[in-house]
Amino acid sequence: MTTHFITAEIDLTENPVKLNREIEARLEQDGKPLRWAVTQVDKQRQKATVEAIVTKED
Amino acid sequence: MSPFTVVLIVPTGVGAAIGGYAGDALPVARSIAQISDRLITHPNVLNGAQLYWSLDNTYYVEGYGLDRFAAKDWGLRPVRQNKIGLLLDAGIEPELRLRHLQAADATRATLGLNLTDYVVTDAPLEVELRTADSGASWGTIGNPGSLLRAAEKLISQGGAEAIAVVARFPDDNSQELQNYRHGSGVDCLAGAEAVISHLIVRQFQIPAAHAPALLPLAVDPEVSPRAAAEELGYTFLPCVLVGLNRAPQFVQNSSLDRETMWSDEVDAVVIPYRSCGGSAILNLANRSEIIAVTNNTTAIQVPPEPLGIKVTKVDSYLEALGVIAARRAGVDFRALNPSIPALRSL
Repeated sequence: MTTHFITAEIDLTENPVKLNREIEARLEQDGKPLRWAVTQVDKQRQKATVEAIVTKED
Repeated sequence: MSPFTVVLIVPTGVGAAIGGYAGDALPVARSIAQISDRLITHPNVLNGAQLYWSLDNTYYVEGYGLDRFAAKDWGLRPVRQNKIGLLLDAGIEPELRLRHLQAADATRATLGLNLTDYVVTDAPLEVELRTADSGASWGTIGNPGSLLRAAEKLISQGGAEAIAVVARFPDDNSQELQNYRHGSGVDCLAGAEAVISHLIVRQFQIPAAHAPALLPLAVDPEVSPRAAAEELGYTFLPCVLVGLNRAPQFVQNSSLDRETMWSDEVDAVVIPYRSCGGSAILNLANRSEIIAVTNNTTAIQVPPEPLGIKVTKVDSYLEALGVIAARRAGVDFRALNPSIPALRSL
């Protein structure tokens, strides 16, 4: 197993539970999400920046 | 009616003005616990290196477990005592290892904690620290497989019910560390610490927490009171062992006993106003009352509104305590203001 730091950009949505699901789905493209948080919000572009650690199996 | 339950979150590694240092949100936790039936919070709030304050109604829940709790995936089952397995990084020098073993023995003899025999990892964990563009601290582990093998041995051979990890962290004399010690920066270690405990909790579904092993720093007369708990000795381990001693176990079967707590029983969540982008908050939003504290500033700027989270915005934890007390008493806190607008027709 290896651990990786990644960032991703997600479209903002009015529904926080849906946003959570969309973040997890986006992170799963890069590995298994371990820990993440929205760390920046761009209201003008309606984008959230997510920083995350994902794991990958060898 | 279920017991009045509050979740207190101070996100780890984001430079929170209160709680971003050495267990310095503990006074907030103690105060909320006094006016709640149950307080659920996490190691970043309760860990003060060699300082700690254990409360019967306060539950120590590691961040990954808190996220799964908030998502309704896991419940929290209170325990009288966990048998704790001590996991030591092979990268720790012999003398520093001995200091940690003696700290662990001290908690057995002086506090009555129950520990298994310890395990040293089969390779150094090789922790690497990182500060992201946002200002938040993160980290990666070079040998996560070694960490998980050691934890598995503690559980299967030692019978551990909770895991305390001590990993060797890089010694650091950077300006960031000086800022942190002086009470004005981000905890560079915190993000990597969370990754270590998250790995264990995700894999084994039992409580875990982490203390870094570091060489003692030179004495500094400018150390902030908020960071001073980490200047007291050779180890940050005692608070972790005390927290894990009664950390609730994770339950995945909703038909189990009535004592198990589930997140739909959470009445209120207290969070810094500009750090609302964590998984737990997104899942608890609009189910529980979210009390967002504006004067607990953070390095990141993620307020609740753009994320669709409705909050009760307060200036300080003192004000948050008032909102919680009113809510528990069944009082609309807006009635405590001098001016109350008249009702209007819908």
